[in-house]
Amino acid sequence: MVQYSYFPGCNLKTNAKGFEETAIAVSKKLEAELVEMPSWNCCGTVHTLTSDNIMKRIAPIRVLSRSRKHVETLKESPNQVVTLCSMCNSTLKIVNNEVKKDQEILDKINYQLEEDEETYETDMEVKHFLEILRDIVGYEKISEKVVNPLEGLKISPYYGCMLLHPEEAKIDDEEMPDVLESLVESLGAELVMSPLFKFCCGSYHIVDQEDIVSSQVEKIVEAAKRRGANALVVACPLCAYNIDQQQKAMARNSVGKSPIPVFYFTQLMAIAMGEPVKINYFNDHFINPEPLLKELGLIGRKKAK
Amino acid sequence: MSKTKTKQEEETLTVKIYIMGSAHEVPASLTIMKAMEYAGFKIKRGAGCRAGFCGACATLYRKAGDYRIYAALACQTQVEDGMVLTQLPFVPAPKAIYDVDSLKPTASSILKFYPEVARCLSCNACSKVCPQEIQVMDYVQYCLQGQIDKAAELSFDCVQCGLCAIRCPAEIPQYHVGMLARRLHGKYNTSTPETLLERVEEIENGTFEEGFEELMSLSKDGLKKRYTERDFVDQKKA
Repeated sequence: MVQYSYFPGCNLKTNAKGFEETAIAVSKKLEAELVEMPSWNCCGTVHTLTSDNIMKRIAPIRVLSRSRKHVETLKESPNQVVTLCSMCNSTLKIVNNEVKKDQEILDKINYQLEEDEETYETDMEVKHFLEILRDIVGYEKISEKVVNPLEGLKISPYYGCMLLHPEEAKIDDEEMPDVLESLVESLGAELVMSPLFKFCCGSYHIVDQEDIVSSQVEKIVEAAKRRGANALVVACPLCAYNIDQQQKAMARNSVGKSPIPVFYFTQLMAIAMGEPVKINYFNDHFINPEPLLKELGLIGRKKAK
Repeated sequence: MSKTKTKQEEETLTVKIYIMGSAHEVPASLTIMKAMEYAGFKIKRGAGCRAGFCGACATLYRKAGDYRIYAALACQTQVEDGMVLTQLPFVPAPKAIYDVDSLKPTASSILKFYPEVARCLSCNACSKVCPQEIQVMDYVQYCLQGQIDKAAELSFDCVQCGLCAIRCPAEIPQYHVGMLARRLHGKYNTSTPETLLERVEEIENGTFEEGFEELMSLSKDGLKKRYTERDFVDQKKA
């Protein structure tokens, strides 16, 4: 059993609880356990593009430094901090790269962290849980743990922007990614490819320009549905929120739109691996995935062996 | 020969401190608050219980040859030679008005009344000045994460002096945020203790009225006698 220092980020504790609980459950099953850091702060998102804004970089460096200490308390843990949120993953990776290249900026940040005994020595790597699943655990081992193959689910992977951009933070090829695709297939679901796999979800426009988000989401969902998808899989809480919540709003406003549920990749894993349904927190979803899962016989029945 | 000073010497030992820029010789054994009064200042605001509990006497100071800003409660901190200090009469910080009964113990409740919490840079300046040695930044972050129980727990020792709010580059009034977190936690996450309900019922049923009337009728000497002879025997069991 390898243990990883896990950095949740704010969304995983508020509106993506199902993402976190399913991830922790499957991580144990796959012997790559995510152990939450004892105390952690904001990842520092959105990453500042102002190169001399030191203040904004203190938060991510403090996370790396605290995670480094956490690693010491874990079993067989590599010097890695593992994230689930693609926004946290991106911010932490970018800043980690910056300070590895630029000693001067690291020194300035460390002056601020000195008194707290939380200076950073650039000895950590940032990993998204998908990278651990692909590179360390492997799809074969994931398939072995599947007890409830996701037959009947036709899933279209949606990456959003943060998993594939920018160059220094991406976890897969930005034009032809296959991590979510391979994962979906290893769980026994049918893969549906959509050309809009990284078409912007509208991001923070949800706060003040909802119409932008709604028009983006409509295109993303329609593209997937036209190719036969009955569900989407995502890795980003903001994408999940936008696509899930906007579909509900659109279904209210127009006739004939049938929304499709949005899953976090770890929720699909948890269902396929026979974990209890309640850890998915489906009640938090705007489009409840349970009717579809029941219809396909994936939940709510005793498994006949 | 012991180098320990006699009591007399200790009392007459003085240090030089700078109160709002002007130098004063004060006995070294005094607290900042007493030293200011010794120097002739009458503290109208910025003093309260004088016992480290009320948080009214927040003080900022620097020391000779040291760039750092220090913070303390004036009634709890002894003067040092070369201190440059001032007493804060008041900390301007917005205090939100809310009805705790209509909220939920979530991050959104906190952000609704204190949206600036989301501006926290995790610089930890707040924790560094806290005279109660509270991990202020961490409880602010717990609020942002919706971990209201942990925020309430971590901020529990706060005396509301306001020093954290003065030092915050994100302009968060941390001590008011912590108060909201504790109210939410108390209201929604904890159960009402049975003994409290019992006691309230006893009061409402007039169980203690006779006893109070008896005490109220006593003379000062009678009351003193009763006080010194009191014990904590459970009257019900006795």
